[in-house]
Amino acid sequence: MGLFDKLAGWLGLKKKEMNVLCIGLDNSGKTSIINKLKPDKSQTQDIVPTVGFTVEKFMSQSLNFTVFDMSGQGRYRNLWEHYYKTAQAVIFVLDSSDRLRMVVAKEELDILLQHSEIAARRVPILFFANKMDCKEALSPVQCSQKMGLDAILNKPWHICASNALSGEGLTDGVDWLTDQIRLS
Amino acid sequence: MSSHGDSSLDKSGQKDDEESPEKNLWLSAHQDPVAGLYTFSTSISLADLNADSDHKLLVADLGTGTFDMKLKVFKGTSLFMESAIIDLPTALVTFYMDTNDPRTPAVAVASGPFIYVYKNLRPYFKFTLPPLEVNAVEQDLWNQAKEDKIDIHVLREMLESLKNEGSEGLLTVRSLKFLSLEPEELEAFASVHKHAPLKRQTVITCMGTMKKSMADDDAVSCLVIGTESKDVFVLDPEAFTVLARMNLPSVPVFISVNGLFDVEFRIVVACRDGKVYTLKRGSKIAKACIELGAQAVGLERTGKSIIVGCMDNTMVCYSTKGKKLWTVYLPTNITTMSLMDHKARGFKAVMVGLNNGEVRIYKEKYLVNTIKMPDAVTAMKFGRFGREDSALILITKGGGLYVKILKRTANFEGKDLTPGPPPAQSIKLNVPKKTKLFVDQTLRERDSAGSMHRMFQHDLYLLRLMAARAYVSALQKSLNPISSSTTEPLKLSAQVQGIGPAFKLTVNLQNISSSVPSTNLLITFQFDDSLYALSKPCITVPLLVPGLMYTYETLVECISDKGISDFIKVFVLHKGNSIPVITAVINMPVSEALVIV
Ligand SMILES: Nc1nc2c(ncn2[C@@H]2O[C@H](COP(=O)(O)OP(=O)(O)OP(=O)(O)O)[C@@H](O)[C@H]2O)c(=O)[nH]1
Ligand SMILES: [Mg+2]
Repeated sequence: MGLFDKLAGWLGLKKKEMNVLCIGLDNSGKTSIINKLKPDKSQTQDIVPTVGFTVEKFMSQSLNFTVFDMSGQGRYRNLWEHYYKTAQAVIFVLDSSDRLRMVVAKEELDILLQHSEIAARRVPILFFANKMDCKEALSPVQCSQKMGLDAILNKPWHICASNALSGEGLTDGVDWLTDQIRLS
Repeated sequence: MSSHGDSSLDKSGQKDDEESPEKNLWLSAHQDPVAGLYTFSTSISLADLNADSDHKLLVADLGTGTFDMKLKVFKGTSLFMESAIIDLPTALVTFYMDTNDPRTPAVAVASGPFIYVYKNLRPYFKFTLPPLEVNAVEQDLWNQAKEDKIDIHVLREMLESLKNEGSEGLLTVRSLKFLSLEPEELEAFASVHKHAPLKRQTVITCMGTMKKSMADDDAVSCLVIGTESKDVFVLDPEAFTVLARMNLPSVPVFISVNGLFDVEFRIVVACRDGKVYTLKRGSKIAKACIELGAQAVGLERTGKSIIVGCMDNTMVCYSTKGKKLWTVYLPTNITTMSLMDHKARGFKAVMVGLNNGEVRIYKEKYLVNTIKMPDAVTAMKFGRFGREDSALILITKGGGLYVKILKRTANFEGKDLTPGPPPAQSIKLNVPKKTKLFVDQTLRERDSAGSMHRMFQHDLYLLRLMAARAYVSALQKSLNPISSSTTEPLKLSAQVQGIGPAFKLTVNLQNISSSVPSTNLLITFQFDDSLYALSKPCITVPLLVPGLMYTYETLVECISDKGISDFIKVFVLHKGNSIPVITAVINMPVSEALVIV
């Protein structure tokens, strides 16, 4: 980065680019969350299950995010690892109302954490305990227990309850992510 | 709730369940040891009841076995709905009965002579099996009882003898119940029931489904039922009329259906007479195809094979023609069997629940995985549950409900646990291609093998001859350091020390005879006197005592500065004889130039 770019960065003239990988089981609400983070006018109304993956961009106050919205379906989950290398942050979306598949989400998280591209890196991981509006939803505390998040020692992580339909909880998560990236 | 941990590596990711193979394949998604379910594999089902791709688990619960029978529906880990069933359920299936949208399947619960059909989880229709003819004598007896012409004890006796005549299965439920009562209960029972018309009905023993005219996953299906009256009925899904009725020689207990009703189908039934029969489209009478070694406790089909679990702890596979293909011997009784059809991976296997709490998964005859459960499993089903495609539902004897999920990374292939040739045996070695040279050589060897052999032998003899000649000449000239002559058996060795120009030459001489001492010996040297000067060109050797080693030394000076070297020959001679006894040749090293200080 040239001196001018740095200066522009400090002065907030130029926004930092950020690669974020968004993963989680199918139907957890990844696409819905990313959709809600986009400016109002570019949001879509009908969200269908993602095939393969899609790339989306959105901005926070100081960052330009490029998000890889991966499909969570079992047969596409082996695509995730191809984006680990370039990911500067991970958003892991949980369907907090799907108690049955919490173990599957944990299994996928463990695979992520043990992956050679991720294991030793200090990649911030943001967890959304999504679908907080559902009546059978687990609280973020319960989710982090079931997911064994306490065992993540070498990465900053954060979990917050969210509702991708109303947008509740999303800014909390994105603010945390922005802080993390500015710190690093 | 954030953590900014230090940079130590995350160890907890490596879970402690690595050591046992069965845990590696399955995640434990839910366990409720006190769910209080009492059911069998034929009475549970997984279906997309609300057409929202969140599949529910349906259980026909036998309750206590006499009352409290219920249809229970589980959504994820929680009970979603339950509804009472009047009599003991014998089977439960889910099927599409129409083509309406949304595509919600109906639920059929077989119980006694009835099939209760539920749509959207509400009772929708009750199907009753067609009544059977009542035995004339039995009818007459009850008629007489109704008119109080006979005493209930006489009635009982008469019915008893009728039963003993071998027509037990032909009596009405009323008579059978009456016969099983205690004497004091007879009066009350008879007075309650004798006025109602006597009806004989059969009961359903097993139930399956068969797609009607299309093979799609959500195509309309017919119900196929087996009854105590040794019949198999195929019911129309919409009108619930009997589309086909087929007769069996015995009572069916397990049923497996394949094919389409309107096209071609095959129904395989295991019967109480220990035989397996096949029914085809258009056939009215069953064809016996397999005679089992023991009573069947489970029946599954994969592709062209019929797999039957038997009471003698075996699982036997037959072809559809009835030929026995293989047998697997199991350590304990089979409690239940079920098919594992993992469509996404094209993997089909048979799961067998054992009395010791194991669930074994067999891919054909090969054991590929074992799941250990705390208790014997009575009901199991593999399929989509919730949003998970590869879920396994296990219900144990003690009433526990367990849900396991197959790991995405699980791999059944290449994990054959039965003994056999090691896999390395079938690995091909990477043998390099034959070169042209190799091929030419081989051809040449094949064409002229005779002459090559002769040539080789000729050269070999020549070599031997040369070796023998050299040996003889060495002996004649006594050029060898060991004298083998019987008169003077001696051994000579010599060495040079120093870097020059002054060297020391050491000669070791040993009499190797056992007793005869050697006398009159001399040591002389032959050398180029323009190169070397010896301090003692001739050494007189005194008497040599056998066995001892004698050492003689002489100084050698290299008198040339040309940096060349030569050999010095050491001779041991007998006085008065010019032919040496033994000879040693010493190659002198190149002398270092004299350093003049
Ligand atoms: N009630 C509720 N429903 C939600 C919420 N977030 C998402 N959904 C619904 O969940 C369903 C799946 O959402 P998607 O965004 O397609 O899920 P996804 O994670 O992208 O799924 P894949 O692309 O298949 O991996 C949709 O029907 C959403 O409307 C939430 O916070 N509350
Ligand atoms: Mg999506």
